Amino acid sequence: MSMIEFHDVNKYYGKFKALKNINLTIERGEVVTIIGPSGSGKSTLLRTINGLELISSGQLLVDNHDLADPKTDMNRIRKNVGMVFQHFNLYANKTILQNITLGPEKVLKVPHVKAAEDAERLLGLVGLLDQAHKLPSMLSGGQKQRIAIARALAMHPKAILFDEPTSALDPEVIGDVLDVMKKVAEQGMTMIVVTHEMGFAKEVGNRLLFMADGEIREDSNDPREFFRAPQDERAQEFLGKILHVD
Amino acid sequence: MQNFIDAYSWVNLRFLLEGLWVTIYVSAISVVLSFIIGSILGLIRYVKIKYLSMIVGFIIDLIRNLPLLLIIFFMYFGLPSTFGIRLNTVTAAIVALTVFESAMLAEIIRSGIQSIGVGQMEAARSNGLTYLQAMWYIILPQAFRNMVPPIVSQFVSLVKDSSLATIILLPELMYHSQIIYGQNTNYMIPMFVALAFLYFVICFLLSRLSKRLARRLH
Ligand SMILES: Nc1ncnc2c1ncn2[C@@H]1O[C@H](COP(=O)(O)OP(=O)(O)OP(=O)(O)O)[C@@H](O)[C@H]1O
Ligand SMILES: [Mg+2]
Repeated sequence: MSMIEFHDVNKYYGKFKALKNINLTIERGEVVTIIGPSGSGKSTLLRTINGLELISSGQLLVDNHDLADPKTDMNRIRKNVGMVFQHFNLYANKTILQNITLGPEKVLKVPHVKAAEDAERLLGLVGLLDQAHKLPSMLSGGQKQRIAIARALAMHPKAILFDEPTSALDPEVIGDVLDVMKKVAEQGMTMIVVTHEMGFAKEVGNRLLFMADGEIREDSNDPREFFRAPQDERAQEFLGKILHVD
Repeated sequence: MQNFIDAYSWVNLRFLLEGLWVTIYVSAISVVLSFIIGSILGLIRYVKIKYLSMIVGFIIDLIRNLPLLLIIFFMYFGLPSTFGIRLNTVTAAIVALTVFESAMLAEIIRSGIQSIGVGQMEAARSNGLTYLQAMWYIILPQAFRNMVPPIVSQFVSLVKDSSLATIILLPELMYHSQIIYGQNTNYMIPMFVALAFLYFVICFLLSRLSKRLARRLH
């Protein structure tokens, strides 16, 4: 059974159609990157998966639960689907350790000692064990984002959504965050990553979606091939632009 | 100078302190009640419950835009004539202050919660927390930290505003001082000085206390 299935999904903001007839199936363990111009609906697509945005029509199955079904418990979906945001959104009133343990303790009812042990393991994984007792405001952007990834991992989710995780970071720390994401991918996590990092899309991603105007215009199982020879003309135009910038 | 010495006689000072005591306990009860009621109203406005939030919003705006003096008059003179409810001066003053301050605090509390960015809520919900857990563990603690200074300055105004209840003959500090200088107009200036001193001391202590509280929360 697939991790995520979109069947003819549409999403409106008032009259504006932000997602148009999305059909998409994502299998467990896939690392899907999504690229596309600003306003193309990348964030909207991602946020429908954990119910931060509701779909207007069609069917969306996450871990075999129908999100449009009122009987579906959204909190249960969110337990299994983590999210990492562009602006980190670490809990400002909690220490780094507490940021990671809060979900496991309050949602999964893991005892404090065990949650803290697991948090320390994750802090080790992201290389920030020495920061455990600081407040988020004392960390740099790159460090915050690595903590945000640890916080998502602490729930032992089945999938993690990333919305431009490196776009708010200084260039010299982007690599640290991408390294952590790569480690997570190597452990077999299902990941859906909206990004402008073409290197990550090519090297870590095993599938690439190109979106424009609320549609998935290209869906490639070979990201390298996509970058070499995009089929869709909007994708050609888009790559032309960003390659000029590089 | 002699005026001051005479004005601050033992009997007069004791009478003033009795007034001070009424000021303090009327204020203290109103502070506690309006904090509870204001928090509930502020939350109702924040979470936007259909109709209820709108009605609450309307009432809050109405009260905030009335002079406190009018509300005091209404509680003391208006309630008996319109609803047949007769309140003694202390109760009328407490009710009036509580009604007025609850409305002021509700707005402080609502905007304090609103000032916490949506990102915190989205992160908490994505982390699997329920709406109530997200509010309790993440949003409210941060909002409260930001709200301490405006809430305290509202309480400081409450203490000062309680002097308006002198108009319904509440035996508080202001009223007692008026009785004293009513008997001898030479005592007027000494009484003003004493009032200024006493109000200053309570309000100053109140804000010092809150600064300490705010520092502990940070
Ligand atoms: N809450 C909202 N209300 C109305 N319109 C919205 C809302 N959120 C997004 N939109 C619109 O939907 C479209 C898609 O937005 P979305 O954020 O998904 O784009 P995006 O591809 O993530 O863009 P970016 O690269 O700039 O983040 C945009 O035109 C945006 O203006
Ligand atoms: Mg976006």
